[in-house]
Amino acid sequence: MSLTDRSIRREPLSPGLFKGYLGGRGLGVRMLYDRLEPHLDPMSPSNLLIFAVGPVTATSVPTAGRFAVITKSPLTGTVFDSHAGGSFGAHLRRAGYAAIVLEGRSTSPVYLWINDDRTEIRDGSGVWGKDTSVTTSQLLQETDSQAEVACIGPAGEHGVKLAAIITDRHRAAGRGGVGAVMGSKNLKAVVVRGTTKVAVSDEEGLNKTVERARRLIKKNQVTDKSLPIYGTPVLVSLINEHGMLPTFNFQEGTFNDAEGVSGEKLLERFSVRQYHCFGCPIGCGRISRLGGEEVGGPEYESLWALGPECGINDLEWIITANNRCNLMGLDTISVGSTVGCAMELTQKGKLDSSLRFGETEGVLELIDDIAFRKGLGAELGEGSRAFASNHGSPELAMQVKALELPAYDLRGVQGHALGSATSNRGGCHLRSYLIGPEVMGAPVLVDRDRTEGKPELVILFQNLSAAMDSMVLCRFTSFAWSIDDYAEMLTNCTGVRISGPSLLVIGERIWNLERLFNNREGFTSRDDQLPPRFFKPLPEGGSRNRVVHLEEMLPKYYALRGWDKEGRPTKERLKRVGIDKT
Amino acid sequence: MLPTFGAVPMDLTVEKLARMIDHTELKPEAKHEKIKQLCEEALAYRFAAVCINASHVQYAVEMLKDSDVKVACVIGFPLGATLSEVKAYEAKEVVRLGAQEVDMVMNIGALRDKNYDLVKTDMEAVVKAAGDAHTKVILETGFLTDDEKRKACLLAKEAGAYFVKTSTGFGPMGATPYDVRLMRETVGPDMGVKAAGGIRSFKDAIQVIEAGADRLGCSSSVAVVEDFRWAQYSDIWMQHDKPCWTCPSRQANLAKQPKDVYLYYKQRCLTCPDREQNIFND
Repeated sequence: MSLTDRSIRREPLSPGLFKGYLGGRGLGVRMLYDRLEPHLDPMSPSNLLIFAVGPVTATSVPTAGRFAVITKSPLTGTVFDSHAGGSFGAHLRRAGYAAIVLEGRSTSPVYLWINDDRTEIRDGSGVWGKDTSVTTSQLLQETDSQAEVACIGPAGEHGVKLAAIITDRHRAAGRGGVGAVMGSKNLKAVVVRGTTKVAVSDEEGLNKTVERARRLIKKNQVTDKSLPIYGTPVLVSLINEHGMLPTFNFQEGTFNDAEGVSGEKLLERFSVRQYHCFGCPIGCGRISRLGGEEVGGPEYESLWALGPECGINDLEWIITANNRCNLMGLDTISVGSTVGCAMELTQKGKLDSSLRFGETEGVLELIDDIAFRKGLGAELGEGSRAFASNHGSPELAMQVKALELPAYDLRGVQGHALGSATSNRGGCHLRSYLIGPEVMGAPVLVDRDRTEGKPELVILFQNLSAAMDSMVLCRFTSFAWSIDDYAEMLTNCTGVRISGPSLLVIGERIWNLERLFNNREGFTSRDDQLPPRFFKPLPEGGSRNRVVHLEEMLPKYYALRGWDKEGRPTKERLKRVGIDKT
Repeated sequence: MLPTFGAVPMDLTVEKLARMIDHTELKPEAKHEKIKQLCEEALAYRFAAVCINASHVQYAVEMLKDSDVKVACVIGFPLGATLSEVKAYEAKEVVRLGAQEVDMVMNIGALRDKNYDLVKTDMEAVVKAAGDAHTKVILETGFLTDDEKRKACLLAKEAGAYFVKTSTGFGPMGATPYDVRLMRETVGPDMGVKAAGGIRSFKDAIQVIEAGADRLGCSSSVAVVEDFRWAQYSDIWMQHDKPCWTCPSRQANLAKQPKDVYLYYKQRCLTCPDREQNIFND
């Protein structure tokens, strides 16, 4: 769809593209690699913004209502995919689409209304400038109350590099500034209603597989107890006990007031009920009571970023700030981390501001200023790397490839550290969530301090994540399911026989293509680095005296990946994973 | 110097692993529905047995009647401190109701008193009452020194038990490879060794199997066998742990153990060849 001339073209998804890249992230990455000119300004009309679902979306497969947004990130300059739950993805698939590819720029604000097979570009000036909740309500009124909305807030409209796309008011495709790309196209929202049942290849087989998959979720401690009862904030206590809860912009790994911002405390003081995304039996989302109002969240990462990262222990305030970010359409992780960075710059006399660790005064207003690009907020909206560099201390930005790192001090987890350094989209915990095996013991507990074997494990999880993101399923299912389970569901849905090992090959193909994209943009091994703080030991807590041993793991990682010393895939490896053919 | 990786035993499959597991539910609050689920899972995965409390035996026997999944029932559980007559009566009754295996808790205090006659006659009473049903004797290793464990194993063997078993799951320690190895070395190859308590992952399971266990008691059986499918994708799962991770001395807990037993374990740390690795508790 061109937003420049408002032309719409429908293309069938080629079987080769599906077999090679499945959908979601993989499909989007392939399109971006093929269609984007190198070194393109991510905010230019030529950048593509892709909303994509996967081959199991809107089927009975648990958690299959998600969607992925794929674009070139204005924050990182890398290829980027950002995912959200809710039900938007299910509607998009039921309307008949594997992906919507948006290019160009509208001359005035618009929104897209997809009502099954009818698609309209509508005037969006009535919601331009409105927050994401008001926008959602108004667009549902203008279209269909049963529809789903994915929209940007003021942050996306103003091209803030930390801008998210919000669906169902509090589920965010949060990271990498995907909302800014949407705003650069003058696209306020995509509204979709899909009602056509999605056919699968083997209904009976899928029923059996799904029954088993649901049973496994019920049998798993994490997916049946911890997440449903506490939501993702269950991690606060666990990660703090390990001395890995980043505090005061990663200066410390233990937050003295962790109990006050824990999942347990959230349950006692503010939780109203669980929130389930489409088809999800886990229900890790929270609805919290704030004053007389019910608001979404907070998730663990958001709670950390707006709390311990900034030294803040006021849970009610954290919920308020989280809600403000959702309304403004901002990535909570990057906002919290960038504010934390500013607090440390102030602490160290590098920045003249009123920001202080542990103090909330003025921060809510600052969040608004970030969204509207005002004053200090305008600077912060460029992300922590640009901000810290501008103030002469780039080392104080806790980021990889300009994406702010989430809520795990990497000194306490060697494998997770390697995964973060080599992530194709920058500082991300989900490309290879080694917190599972290194901290939570899922599927088994491995020694978090050892470096031996970690490159192999990171690669396994990166490949699996790429495949899961291309099926567009929730990461939490992997606590309960093994690789073979994903492959079986995919086979049932599509009729294409895919084994566990072949699913990992697809993941590896996607990972390598992302790497090629980033190499083409100029990224090298120098970008697979961590902030210098991680090479100095934590002073106290459960991860004291530890540093990241990246220098031991990275060469092994490249060798196992089949990449050269600069982190570039070799021809042999590309041939082996089938990129040359596709 | 430990090798970097261990290995999954070459001939171990998901099915074989399942056939070594007693799928266990012994919590006092377990409702009828839970036992139903336990039996259904045992049938689906073909576990060796379900291991349950006496009040559920009749129902489980009915659920499993046309299968090769056995019903194992605990006796004198979890303290083992009741009268031998009561244990014998309990064993006789559950066997009459259809239990094919009984897991009795030995008289732990008597063993610590070195009242070996009482310990042995207690075991013999249950073995006799169980008749054709196989008796497993739970030592509750967390209350014992190594010498006491060895003695208990020998008494169980003399009393005619089929298995010695590490723990109840309610005591101070779960099964450790160290204890399983000690028990296997003591009873020899012709008697069963059941590892029970704290086996939550396939790695835990494989470690005690390698140490000599031929039966495992798990309440996380489904996760153990399901997660075993991950083994094919990486060798790192079987990477050797820090020695302390699986050592009984690390599990020692003064709040749960007699002072002398606790100190017995902790004093071993002082002379342990791996003591330099014992810095942090993770």
